[in-house]
Amino acid sequence: MKNRLKLLRVERGWTQEQLGQALGVSRQAVNALETEKHDPSLDLAYRVAVLFARPVEDIFENPHA
Amino acid sequence: MLALGKSTTPAHRKYVIRTMAFMIPYALVNTGAIFGAFDEIMGKPAAWVLALVISAPVVGQIWATLSLIRDSDEFVRALTAKQFIIASGLSMAVASMWGFGESYAGAYHLPAWLIYPLFWFFWGVSAPFIRTSK
Repeated sequence: MKNRLKLLRVERGWTQEQLGQALGVSRQAVNALETEKHDPSLDLAYRVAVLFARPVEDIFENPHA
Repeated sequence: MLALGKSTTPAHRKYVIRTMAFMIPYALVNTGAIFGAFDEIMGKPAAWVLALVISAPVVGQIWATLSLIRDSDEFVRALTAKQFIIASGLSMAVASMWGFGESYAGAYHLPAWLIYPLFWFFWGVSAPFIRTSK
């Protein structure tokens, strides 16, 4: 799933490890999200949205829109 | 199967510790059996105890792997589950093929316990190809 996660993370100067800790997932999971190797669950997508204070669709492109 | 690096998760660290706790006794008892430590009971009912003792760490290791799946985040869970299913499926396929070969084609008899190392062989060789949760 296309997303702006890497851009948002880099804007804040966070490492994948730091973002993973903030979200409660592994660095591997953050990397997989950024490289589109993993589509997040609804729960994880909402956690990301809350962390960056943006709507989910600002971060993850809706493939059905 | 085992990698304990700086960026590993608590679930992965537990998995590594549990794996060592189960695999070291497994290897030691097997090595003892190979070198004749249990020769006196071979073929006797008491040998079933030995068979159960050697098999117990196998059950433990499967539990450790399923615990890793349960305790990991959603991405690692998906990857590990895929790897477990693929390794199990390939092991069953090869064991079935060889078993039918024994039954119908006179293939050399191999002990059934070989399915366990075979599982870990397929676990290892499949790992580089399982990179996405999709």
